[in-house]
Amino acid sequence: MKTQVNRLPGDTGKGLAGAHIDRGRSISFSLNGRVAHGFIGDTVLTALIASGVDTIGTLDGHPLGLRRGAAPPIAHVGTAHDPQQALPMDRTLAMDGAEYVTVGDRTASGLFARLFQPGRTLGLVVNADGSGLASPWRGVRGSAEEPVDLLVIGAGVAGMSAALAGAIAGLKVTLVEASPRLGGHSGLFGTQDGESSPEENVAHLFDEISASDAITVNTATEVFAITEGLARAHQVDTSGGTAKGRVIDLPAKHIVIATGSLERLPIFGGNRLPGVVGAMEAFELAQRYGIWTGTSWLLATTSNPAYRLGTLLQDTGLKLDRIVEGRDRANSRYIEFCKAYGIRQFPGTTPSFVSATKSGASLSVHLPHSDPVPVERVVACGGFQPDLTLWHIAGGASHWHREGQRLEPRGTLAGIALAGSAAGYLTRRGCITSGFDAVDRLLGREGRGVDDPVIDAIYETRDGWMIGPEGEDTAPPAYLEGDRTLLVRPVTPQQSWSQRFFDRQPKRARVLSEAPQSLDIGAICAGVALGLIPAASAGIVAQERVALVPLAQIAPTTVKTTTPVLPTFVPPWLVGRFGPDQRVATLDHDKARSLGAGALIYASGDTTDPQSASGVVLRTASGQTMALVSATAPKNVIVRDSGQEIAAVIAPLPVQPA
Amino acid sequence: MNEITTDFAVFGSTPLARLLAGLLASRHGKKVVIVGEVKARYRLPRVADLSIAPITRPETWALLQAAIPETTRLIGKIGGRTAHRRVDSIFFAESPAAREALGHVANMVRAFGMVVETLPASLLGANRLALRISDAIAINRPVIEPALEAWLTQSGVTILLAPAVSFAPDGSVLLREGETEIRAAQAILADDTAITDHLSRAEWPTPLVERLYSTILTTSSRHLGSPIMADFDTGTWFVEHDEGGMAAIGPGDLAKFSQNLIALLDQPSQLQQAGQVTFPALGTADNAPLIGRRDDLGPTLLVGLDGWGAFLVPVLARHFAGEASAREAAWIKTHGPARTVPVGEFAAHADEFPA
Repeated sequence: MKTQVNRLPGDTGKGLAGAHIDRGRSISFSLNGRVAHGFIGDTVLTALIASGVDTIGTLDGHPLGLRRGAAPPIAHVGTAHDPQQALPMDRTLAMDGAEYVTVGDRTASGLFARLFQPGRTLGLVVNADGSGLASPWRGVRGSAEEPVDLLVIGAGVAGMSAALAGAIAGLKVTLVEASPRLGGHSGLFGTQDGESSPEENVAHLFDEISASDAITVNTATEVFAITEGLARAHQVDTSGGTAKGRVIDLPAKHIVIATGSLERLPIFGGNRLPGVVGAMEAFELAQRYGIWTGTSWLLATTSNPAYRLGTLLQDTGLKLDRIVEGRDRANSRYIEFCKAYGIRQFPGTTPSFVSATKSGASLSVHLPHSDPVPVERVVACGGFQPDLTLWHIAGGASHWHREGQRLEPRGTLAGIALAGSAAGYLTRRGCITSGFDAVDRLLGREGRGVDDPVIDAIYETRDGWMIGPEGEDTAPPAYLEGDRTLLVRPVTPQQSWSQRFFDRQPKRARVLSEAPQSLDIGAICAGVALGLIPAASAGIVAQERVALVPLAQIAPTTVKTTTPVLPTFVPPWLVGRFGPDQRVATLDHDKARSLGAGALIYASGDTTDPQSASGVVLRTASGQTMALVSATAPKNVIVRDSGQEIAAVIAPLPVQPA
Repeated sequence: MNEITTDFAVFGSTPLARLLAGLLASRHGKKVVIVGEVKARYRLPRVADLSIAPITRPETWALLQAAIPETTRLIGKIGGRTAHRRVDSIFFAESPAAREALGHVANMVRAFGMVVETLPASLLGANRLALRISDAIAINRPVIEPALEAWLTQSGVTILLAPAVSFAPDGSVLLREGETEIRAAQAILADDTAITDHLSRAEWPTPLVERLYSTILTTSSRHLGSPIMADFDTGTWFVEHDEGGMAAIGPGDLAKFSQNLIALLDQPSQLQQAGQVTFPALGTADNAPLIGRRDDLGPTLLVGLDGWGAFLVPVLARHFAGEASAREAAWIKTHGPARTVPVGEFAAHADEFPA
């Protein structure tokens, strides 16, 4: 029986046979007691997907797809209680014989689990707030590494160029990359005329970095917090034969953020069902790991690079039913290539929703004016957004670029520069030259400038948004983003006739400012596209809500004041309360009753108007009650404390001996 | 060029600013323009919009308690039943000085007819004095703000977002937006952002100070003892949201405020941060509200009224319309920039966090 049901044959052409795996070296490991198979070079996530696992579990009765960026953390058996020992399955290389458990969510049982083929699902019950997908190590303090001159975050072409620029400038450089390998994500975007291929570029940069003594490379290392001069990262170390996680602090004089772009999730019901995947993830699963799920698929896109999948997979036997293009009139060389292959294309079309068939084995894509289209996989691409997460965490600003329909960085930060597509550049050449330029700017140099030869939008239409209609009651939810935040598209509440008649407001819809979870860039951008967030406010919201910095990382140094107050002390806020000649006096009263600070003192029997009070109790010290009274307060007074009236006598302060 | 003259130009985006503009127009028949854009639905809260606060002066409580019913009815009329709600708030303190201040506030609140209950030590910790104050009114900003915009328009208030502004020494202001020029006889800068956007520090009245405050939104699903709580030691407000999570608002930049919050909270490691912001907040050296003009020149400033001050809006509107009662006028006068009578209020750690 084939154990790796989603693995493409080893002779698959067009570079889709799995460049990162060694098919000659099989491995197996267990997760929650279930055995998964893979090859050396697989991550835990890719081995699971290759083995046919594509579902995390259920959320609100609907299955939730397993995907990069939204996979539950794991840990070796017996270490799940230790947040530092938790591991990200998409950054952890699969090790032969390892035994893992998922951390956080509990497993489900019952009817719905049986609707899916055995083995497809991890069987977890997912919390709607995404807490089960959160990274437990974020609350752990880091161990300090050696300081360096330049820290580069992200080892795509921009980051690798920045690292080389730093080395050339004589700096000591650390280059960190979240995934297990260098190279970034430029592979999907193809080549412009005269350019070398992304693979050639990456290989060349890799060779130069390897040859440099000035550059230290840390892979499987993801930065999750940053400020001027310091970044905190979680690292997965597999050098000892077993995967171990640790949190490290990386001090650096200069920092370049080259974290690339995020793929936007098209917004339609069912956009995170198992079997629905982004174009970049689909491409890299195929190209790096030789993985493709299902034998039939549909592409829904508002971005040109996604079309490349159509041509690359032409000779694989995988049936592309059609391409659904959300933009009304899109132009691209990739679109023309697909036409040349005879692939059916439907411009100006957005899925209404995607549903899973009852057996769970395939999907139905519901399109306007069409019967549902049955396929086993949907590749959905909503365009690309610069990954400004760390930029915002560091305090950087951004704004909504109306023409580009995306958030772009604004302003500068001391000691931190953006490079590559994170900075907004659109071409590979732009990303490479921006890496050099970023280092120049950090070092206070003129900067050699950035050459970003963007093809005119007439020929290469810019990314658009894919927004389906508001969901039908029976449709699965439409998520705003493909990561762990699990925010769904708000649905306009329907008012009943009685509510309309009596003008009663329904339970108020969710308000973004009070949503009890961080909002990542994708959700904010989706919010703008849906009209939930004004474009003018997007930058503000991104700054305030995107960051997720752990609270429990700094030892509190505030010393609580327990110093007793001096008996006759009059706090500043009581100055002049009872006139310019107010005085401190003692108050003699029945000692069986203690008087609380703030109890009002009245000259007469009428104790109902606080504005007529003649004084106030300051405190009781050493058995003596001190009061602040007006100059005209009589000797015999009434104190009103906790609703009770107590007779008292004002006496002057005892004279202190000389 | 369209030239328009109005009685007032109110600058600000808070509920106080919007209510003031609308009342001046709808109730006092004034011609009003308002400058500023509301953003609450999308930003973290900066204040707790509550009808009570750590106020120790009886004259302020008297004015506030008289105005609360009027303001509450107005807010309900504008935004519906969900625009406000009754909450039982908890004020608490630990240090001797803060416990004393809490005692003073509690006696004030009790004296003005509110129910105050001392809570058992087990609720917030043995060293803390905690008091529950019943039936305060909390404004639901995300509900009231869009409703306020509609009400302003219905009331005939002109809304401008970012006109060119030119203040005159006599308190008037000239606004230019596109082809429209508006001259308002009196300019009122009704919130902190309006003041910092339009006046330089050199133009601030002497008592004005700027302090750093922060808001941290957490994902905690554990319920607080009350929907709104205030710590007298650190000056931190805790506002629980209907949808889960809690906003903590208090003095200090993010690092300092975060430290204070960790020290304050039980099991802080269970909390995840869902958002944060540091912002400058204006106040006065004596921590009391300020209403007036610097040396009787330039625009009128409203400072220190965020949160509870919105409930004082009918008083402010009567003052600006020249219809204030003797008591209201006296309170406004004693809270002017050139204070001759001490009106100081309690504030925790305020002086430690200059901007």
